[in-house]
Amino acid sequence: MSKLGIMVRDNKYLDYVINTAKAANKKGIEVEIFFTGKGVLLTQEERFKELVDVAKLFVCDVSFRANGLEGKEVPGVGFKQFVTQARNAEMIEECDRYLVF
Amino acid sequence: MKVLHVLKSEPDDTTKKLMDVISGEDKDIFVLYEGDVDWDKFIDEVFSHEKVICWW
Amino acid sequence: MKKLAVIVRDKEQQYEALRSSLGALLEIPSVKMIVLDHEIDMHEAYEENMEFLDEMEGERYSNNKANVEKYGFKYATLDEIGEMLKEVDIVIPF
Repeated sequence: MSKLGIMVRDNKYLDYVINTAKAANKKGIEVEIFFTGKGVLLTQEERFKELVDVAKLFVCDVSFRANGLEGKEVPGVGFKQFVTQARNAEMIEECDRYLVF
Repeated sequence: MKVLHVLKSEPDDTTKKLMDVISGEDKDIFVLYEGDVDWDKFIDEVFSHEKVICWW
Repeated sequence: MKKLAVIVRDKEQQYEALRSSLGALLEIPSVKMIVLDHEIDMHEAYEENMEFLDEMEGERYSNNKANVEKYGFKYATLDEIGEMLKEVDIVIPF
């Protein structure tokens, strides 16, 4: 199975992220998304939950806290999915293609 | 290496210059910021190129 | 083994880009961080992480001479930066 990695470092492109993840998922492609920097702000958007069933989600813990979100719930993201930048590096190595939004 | 240039916003001179150095005149570009995007086609394009750069 | 370049244009994200470059070095031996146009807004945390990047043999380039003279970046023209981006497998623009 092909694997697509997506790094989300900005909070401007949630539509792109959702549409990309859904389209890839529909084609049987495994999708992993790493939210970092301002991208973590998207975890609080209403539409964020649309990603839960189509991708494996990871959130940079440092960015999450730095953006004042500590203690906030994120749909589909358990405590093990709050990770460091090292997870992004693993994703880069593991994925067949890697996108940045 | 076949490169797909993905544009999230209109490219300025710097982005255009970098794209030119990487791929020359004959480059494959996928625009996300205007018109109706065909997301199925986008995924097909991403996986039919060896390398993808999502510019600013 | 993949090669990676982080290209940083958004000054507000300069620190985030450095953190990503450092994180990438944990898995990927060849990481170039390229600062485009702006002069680094240097602060203690940035300097500390920049030193880690050097220790982990990450490479730093900039087309802004102030970054070269003040902070030890290697100089590269926009053309040379384009060539670097051509050589790597993954490009992360900030």
